[in-house]
Amino acid sequence: MIFLKGITKLANLSKSQQVPKLLCSCKLLSNSEQNYYNIKGSLYYNRYLRNYSTDKKVHINIGTIGHVDHGKTTLTAAMTKVLQKDGLSEFVAYDQIDKAPEEKARGITINASHIGYSTIKRHYAHTDCPGHADFIKNMISGASQMDGAILVVAADDGEMPQTREHLLLAKQVGIKKIVVFINKADIVDQESLELVELEIRELLDTFGFDSEAPVIYGSALSALNGQDGEYSENSIRKLLNTIDNYIPDPQRDLNSPFWIPIDNAFSVTGRGTVVVGTIIRGVIKKNDECELLGFDSRRKTTVGDIQVFKKSIPQAAAGDHVGVLLRGVKLNSVDRGMQLVAKGSIKYTNRFKANIYFLTREEGGRSKPILSRYSQQLFSNTWNVPCRLDLEKGIEMLLPGEHGPVNLTLQWKMPMINSQPFTIRENNITVATGIITESLEPVLVTSTLGKLQL
Amino acid sequence: MIFTKRIMRFYHSSKQLFGAEKSSLAVLRKKTGYTIANCKKALQLNDNDLGQAEKWLKDQAQIMGWKKATKLEGRLTSQGLIGVAIKDSCAAMIELSCETDFVAKNKEFKSMVEIAANSCVDFASSQYKSNAPIIKICFSGEQLKELPTQDGKKLSDLLALMIGTVGENATFKRALCFKAGHGVYLAGYAHPSGDEPNHVQLGKFGSILAFRQFAPKEVDLNTVGKELCQHIVGMNPKKLGTIDEIPSEKSDYEDSLLHQEYLLDESITVKDYLEESGVEVIDFRRFQCGESMMESGDQPLELIETCQ
Ligand SMILES: Nc1nc2c(ncn2[C@@H]2O[C@H](COP(=O)(O)OP(=O)(O)O)[C@@H](O)[C@H]2O)c(=O)[nH]1
Ligand SMILES: [Mg+2]
Repeated sequence: MIFLKGITKLANLSKSQQVPKLLCSCKLLSNSEQNYYNIKGSLYYNRYLRNYSTDKKVHINIGTIGHVDHGKTTLTAAMTKVLQKDGLSEFVAYDQIDKAPEEKARGITINASHIGYSTIKRHYAHTDCPGHADFIKNMISGASQMDGAILVVAADDGEMPQTREHLLLAKQVGIKKIVVFINKADIVDQESLELVELEIRELLDTFGFDSEAPVIYGSALSALNGQDGEYSENSIRKLLNTIDNYIPDPQRDLNSPFWIPIDNAFSVTGRGTVVVGTIIRGVIKKNDECELLGFDSRRKTTVGDIQVFKKSIPQAAAGDHVGVLLRGVKLNSVDRGMQLVAKGSIKYTNRFKANIYFLTREEGGRSKPILSRYSQQLFSNTWNVPCRLDLEKGIEMLLPGEHGPVNLTLQWKMPMINSQPFTIRENNITVATGIITESLEPVLVTSTLGKLQL
Repeated sequence: MIFTKRIMRFYHSSKQLFGAEKSSLAVLRKKTGYTIANCKKALQLNDNDLGQAEKWLKDQAQIMGWKKATKLEGRLTSQGLIGVAIKDSCAAMIELSCETDFVAKNKEFKSMVEIAANSCVDFASSQYKSNAPIIKICFSGEQLKELPTQDGKKLSDLLALMIGTVGENATFKRALCFKAGHGVYLAGYAHPSGDEPNHVQLGKFGSILAFRQFAPKEVDLNTVGKELCQHIVGMNPKKLGTIDEIPSEKSDYEDSLLHQEYLLDESITVKDYLEESGVEVIDFRRFQCGESMMESGDQPLELIETCQ
């Protein structure tokens, strides 16, 4: 980067864990911090930028949901079997999926198996989770934001009372596209298949999903056993084809106002202050009006220059790692953890709603319950601030191992957006992990967080 | 798929017509909620007569429920719900388990827990009073199944019906009742709180408590009881403890109720809170869903209550 040549002063940013607000003359990450940043940052970026990999095939997260015994695991195995036959993936046997050891994501134990396969078009990370809590944990841990789901319904049973719970859950974890696989077509007649389809369409409609969603009749077991027939391997190919086409590629968000979390900042002699970061969303142009937000401060400025790979360019878009020259900003007013956003585009606040999971003692978390007014340090992306947590009305406590909606009050205003992940640490030990779900109106913090009347 | 297309068109043009031109199978299914396979069988056996088929299904429900229950028997049930009921001088706490936590959210499942908890309270109420401050009555899963419900059926019959409906195995794990003697108060709590069909509290954790007032103080005994129960759920004390025993050095590992930090005010111990409130704890129990993973019948010894 050309900017580097002009650096006047260079100092390492000390770990900002105890002293959250740091004012250094220059901010470049030391090695250890680079690592820290990479670990925390990768998950963060995953959510927004994972589809920009240089690999031609897009990565999609998908899962099977449905009643116990309706054939979720059999179907998952059958999909890999057919893909292996077609030379695209490796077969994963039923037992390997069913008896997969518990997985750990961000320290949380999840009873789910993640397997991967590729179709002609895409790479899929496929989750087969047995329980409701496991799905929620999967979502909160940020390991995989699901792009779509396959609802498996056995044709001999049809919709079951829990099918509603499954769709409700799909809504909760933000799944927008559902493909229906009506399984066990080998043991029922056409009338049953059609009735199950009708019922499921009605139910999809009730829960606000696309009632014209693709519905496929098939037999996972026949396909797995390599039997002949209409409902065998061909139904699986049809399913694979359908998910390839019905579930859209995650879009890089170019329409929202731009938003850049700042990793680095330095001053260039004679030119001013340059901030460096990856554009999370939107498009940034030269001369754009913008705001530098974080730790209660708000600095209005304009974009003097944009550089990517040492070249000055007129504009840059989500996914690009850029250096932005800011007009009239002193280096000592920039902190790592601040965000550069389009002017007036973000609700700048210190209060949020979030969905949180508390780690069990076995996972390294607390042993005691959490009550309202719980105050600890909140970590997100590259920054951390003191934070108070309050439970929603009607919830008297959360025990370790439980998840729930909470309200967060930060010591300072910080720009955060929906589904931004964070952790809570006590004495540097992670005790909870969560994601932001809503921005609330800010409150003025005049006392300690714990004493604040909310 | 030609047929699907036709359905789709039908669906578009007249959403409200859903159900209007349905086959008898669709009608029967919608009305009864039994599985497609069973509805089909009912129609076949009854010459497509809807009324007869429905009657047949209802008659068969119990038998089919039992069949399903038998078929699913032995499958691991590690999820579930605890139900806590308090009526007059009796408190009951029961555990009903199931295979996935989806079912634990089901109306039918919740209502089963509620009925069972009420059956236990009723049973305890029907027992003689003694002079003891409390009588503890405990049930194994098997004993629980034999209890009658308020309308005279056995709990096991209702359970089979419920299993038939939700299509997943479910097992009564255990139950415990307190019957209070003169001057003894009872309290109960279930967490997460919220669901309370017919005054039965439902949750993943539950606790019941028997306590006595030794000095009148300006406190609401209901609140004191509830808060102590919440403490028991949250802090998981293993025993009551005694006033003279030496408290554990690390407060995190303290398992005597009396010496634990009080949940709602860390600056005092439970002992302090009891003194402040003028009450003393006689006995308590805490249930956590799935803590006894074994099927009923082969529970480890310490999980089986000894009865007084
Ligand atoms: N007849 C038939 N049985 C199936 C089919 N798919 C799965 N099964 C059986 O249904 C049972 C449950 O399947 P499984 O994949 O474990 O269901 P899950 O609980 O949803 O994961 C197993 O005994 C499978 O062999 C199918 O297409 N036809
Ligand atoms: Mg399975």
